[in-house]
Amino acid sequence: MTALATLERRFLDHVLGGEAFPRTWCSQGLVDSDIGLSIYANAYHSRLREALEADHPVLSAYLGDTLWLKFCAGYTADHPSQVRSLRFFGSRVPDWLARNAPFSAHPVIAELAQFERALLDVFDAADAPRLDWAAMGPLDAQSWPTLRLRFHPSVRLLVLSTNAVEVWRALKDEEAPPAAAASNAAARLLWRDEERVTRFRPVVQAELAALAAVLIDEKDFSGLCERLACDHPADSVPAMAIGFLRQWFDEGVICALATDYSAAPQDHG
Amino acid sequence: MNHRAQPARELTPEAQASGARPWYGYGLGLRTEHFDAVLEERPAVDWFEIISENFMVAGGKPRHYLASIRSRYPVAMHGVSLSIGSTDPFDRDYLRELRQLVRDVEPIWVSDHLCWTGNGGINSHDLLPLPYTEEAISHVVARIGEVQDFLGREILIENVSSYVSFADAEMEEAAFLSEIVRRSGCRILLDVNNIYVSSRNHGFDADTYVAALPADRIWQIHLAGHSDYGDYVIDTHDHPVRDEVWALYARTLQRIGPVTTMIERDDNIPPLRELVQELDHARRIGAQTLYLSSLAVCA
Repeated sequence: MTALATLERRFLDHVLGGEAFPRTWCSQGLVDSDIGLSIYANAYHSRLREALEADHPVLSAYLGDTLWLKFCAGYTADHPSQVRSLRFFGSRVPDWLARNAPFSAHPVIAELAQFERALLDVFDAADAPRLDWAAMGPLDAQSWPTLRLRFHPSVRLLVLSTNAVEVWRALKDEEAPPAAAASNAAARLLWRDEERVTRFRPVVQAELAALAAVLIDEKDFSGLCERLACDHPADSVPAMAIGFLRQWFDEGVICALATDYSAAPQDHG
Repeated sequence: MNHRAQPARELTPEAQASGARPWYGYGLGLRTEHFDAVLEERPAVDWFEIISENFMVAGGKPRHYLASIRSRYPVAMHGVSLSIGSTDPFDRDYLRELRQLVRDVEPIWVSDHLCWTGNGGINSHDLLPLPYTEEAISHVVARIGEVQDFLGREILIENVSSYVSFADAEMEEAAFLSEIVRRSGCRILLDVNNIYVSSRNHGFDADTYVAALPADRIWQIHLAGHSDYGDYVIDTHDHPVRDEVWALYARTLQRIGPVTTMIERDDNIPPLRELVQELDHARRIGAQTLYLSSLAVCA
């Protein structure tokens, strides 16, 4: 297999922009081999650029042609595709933008990319049935402290530090974007609704703490209340926590309940 | 000729065992832009071909639309990531996901390309050319056998467009493909546009190429548009099928008989009705070229 393996390695190296493929390894047909090889190399780079453009149309518009091409070239060089599907080629884009100048000097850029990638993830996340508030009916009082929620697979919580979503919205509407600015109220909850439409909304500080507890740290209801009690009067916590639960059910982002009050956990999903 | 969608029939075990070429009529590539139109307009298309990888996602709209469309039309699965000629090990996760999709979709058949797409863990996302050598034949035949065993069915392998050929080639492309088909038992997805493109780039005769293939193993034909730059031709799938490819298609049908046919369009995608009209042109060529008796649904 040495000859075939070597040919493939050298050919791909050429396509990626590395060492040239030996001209003597090509037969000369009607098309000069240098032209033929350049067709493959050009196709590789334009295909990856198109994939990034398809995933990040707003980021592309925000950066403008020059910076966009600079980003594409830099990202593609640092991350030759190791993914099967181009759908995932840009998965490291937010991280790359946060680490590489001149993009890293403007955090809104990486967060704009982070928001666009979250939209992609929401779009084709797994399906799951959803529960409404009536699912809580059978729960007795003793079960509440150990109640755990399973969120719909499409749910994403983004904690941002800039007004990237406002910038995204303006560009999406083909309006002038606001100046980039820091924001301490920039968290967003994203999900796909029952009609398979992507939804997102701001998350206030108290709800962010609640979501961090149950969605990220996988705390049960008592853990959720303990988290809220750090910043709110104890007597207001139960109503606040139940209010959040009610909202999540109403939005269709809960797909299962479980408690460990019984000997074996009960999955009400 | 009746242009309404014909109810395609699943192959009976007897028909599969006989190796008879099935007939599913005229299809289109299913593209995201047409999801709603397909369901609302119920176009007179006999079947759809999906790009398998586009539906290897957990859920959401792609899988929802696929299930709806599959309940109304036969579907063929066409992959771009098998990398049958690569010297890298198979991506086992990919094969498992492909097999699961086959179980979910129950396609009329599964196809991919006679090429390699990556090496050393790097994916070019392109259909790269193989050297036409005995070494490559042995390698590809073993890999096709592995895939067919894993999926529990024969696959179709498609000839690709190419822009480079290699000095150590020991045979022509048609002989290379034919030998792989003979040894592996796979079928051929014959891309007539790719034959044309490669014939222009490498200077071989397209009709001679077709004549060299085992006709009974050609189960499907692809048609597509290309970009002609004069000195070379690139397979771009962003134009309607060009006259020279229609002509080669007609001569191919005259030579090998009726073959299930579809049109691929991957860029500059027009409204669905335009592609349905273009597909009607394929139907007319089929009707003009073949005896009506040959057009009966087989199996």
